[in-house]
Amino acid sequence: MDLFVYADVLLYGVVNGMTFFLMAVGFSFVYGISRLPNFAHGALYVVTGFITWSFMNNMGLPFWLSIAISLIIVSLAGMAIYQFVMIRVRGMPISEIIVSFAIALAILEGLRLQGIGGFKGFIGPGYVLPPFVDGVVSTPWVMIDIHRLLIIAVGLLILGFMWLFTRYHRIGLALKAMAQHERAALMLGINSDRMANFALAIGSGLAGIAAVAIMPLGNVNVESGYSVLTHAIAVCVIGGLGSWGGTLLAALTIGLATTVMSAFGGTMWNNVLVFGLIIFILIVRPSGLLGKQKELEERV
Amino acid sequence: MSAILQVRNLMLFYENAVAVNNVSMTVDRGQIVGVFGSNSAGKSSLMFCISGIILDVRRKEAMRGGERITLTGKIRFKDEDVLMVEPSERARKGIILCPERRLIFPESSTLENLKMGAYLANRAQAKKTLEYVLVLFPELKRIKRRAGGFLSGGEQQMLAIGRALMAQPELLLLDEPLLGLAPMIEKRLAHAIKEINEEKRITVAVAEQYARPVLPIIEYGYVLENGGLVAEGIGRELFENPDVKEAYFGL
Repeated sequence: MDLFVYADVLLYGVVNGMTFFLMAVGFSFVYGISRLPNFAHGALYVVTGFITWSFMNNMGLPFWLSIAISLIIVSLAGMAIYQFVMIRVRGMPISEIIVSFAIALAILEGLRLQGIGGFKGFIGPGYVLPPFVDGVVSTPWVMIDIHRLLIIAVGLLILGFMWLFTRYHRIGLALKAMAQHERAALMLGINSDRMANFALAIGSGLAGIAAVAIMPLGNVNVESGYSVLTHAIAVCVIGGLGSWGGTLLAALTIGLATTVMSAFGGTMWNNVLVFGLIIFILIVRPSGLLGKQKELEERV
Repeated sequence: MSAILQVRNLMLFYENAVAVNNVSMTVDRGQIVGVFGSNSAGKSSLMFCISGIILDVRRKEAMRGGERITLTGKIRFKDEDVLMVEPSERARKGIILCPERRLIFPESSTLENLKMGAYLANRAQAKKTLEYVLVLFPELKRIKRRAGGFLSGGEQQMLAIGRALMAQPELLLLDEPLLGLAPMIEKRLAHAIKEINEEKRITVAVAEQYARPVLPIIEYGYVLENGGLVAEGIGRELFENPDVKEAYFGL
């Protein structure tokens, strides 16, 4: 019987890890490519949830169509954030953080506003997105709903897609070149602003995918925008900023650790665990689990 | 022969300090032209002006409230004024800079570096140029999968030239391609540059501190000092000018 509990914890831990991965992947992608800390990441995540909900419930569009339109909108929003705002503070990390966080606050708190043009504000537990597929898989060992399994699939799909994209696609390669040496990429005709636009569009799209995948597990609320951002940063810091393998490894570690903690210790310890882990990692390995050390410094 | 590049009265200031002082030069289509000068003579600044990278430097400086960079004069490339054209757009037009200290993408493999260079090329061009680069520098084949940061200086320079070729240049700017390399490799690279020029019909402008290794391959040369031109001439004549000889060839 004990063994069943472990199998249960392991499976839910992996699902939990994948949700962390989905939360972090967009942030990690944008930072890895364009060195832009997109603190509006969590806001874009929440926005996707609410507009998908609105398309379905206010306009009566079908589920998948709502998701598709929302993802397009949120990608364009990411692009706009770079094109109209971030472009002016590019290269100044502190201003980048302040500006993008200001955008996040404006969006998130704006969603709570009431009374403008009859808008009731997105407050309360009534906003729920449906799962991709209803249903539960039950085996003698564990019981899990299909949507949670699909989260794992979505995570793996994103991982595979990104791997192929940055290895074989012209723009993926250009993005990777940009991340390594902006000026050298410029000399080869790679336009850095256009690439940053692409990076933010893709990163925001990934935030959107995370939203429609994760939100059906709970409800759509404004607060999750902040927690998604902090968790994304936690995953990126622990894994090593801009490292793919690191992001996945850190997400799975955090996911399993928090699930184990919930099962045997109590959920109130989860945040202590996650943020304690950041402090621990920063002490023993400041560049993160798989962060790039300075081993590849240019030779003369 | 028609001029592919004409620089007229080019001036570049960092605040009030002059980096390029009233430089005029002409590069004819199909030529190899040398630009010589000691450290801080303005070679790299000139290369940055021609390739447009200076505009990116200027933008970054302006953004962080740094030095004010002023640029005046004319740069005509294929009968079009490109002085204020963005660097990525200039690369598209055919001006490709192979930078000083090579700036290889350190985490990407040799092959990936070359593929990244092919951003402006179409599929057929990329394939053909890749084959050409691997024939020109067979050494690169052996180290295809090694990360760029782990290559030796000579290997990196070959890769940098190869990567620039992948971008389909019409005018290839080489900024100190022989910097810090062994004499054997210097000779090998000078020969390769000549080969590129002859076989691919690519016009080359090469900036170097020491003229000797590239002197056999250049058709025309300019000598820069404190940002201004002090001498110019066809390769051999430049070499015979006593002042130049003493100052730049160590004779």
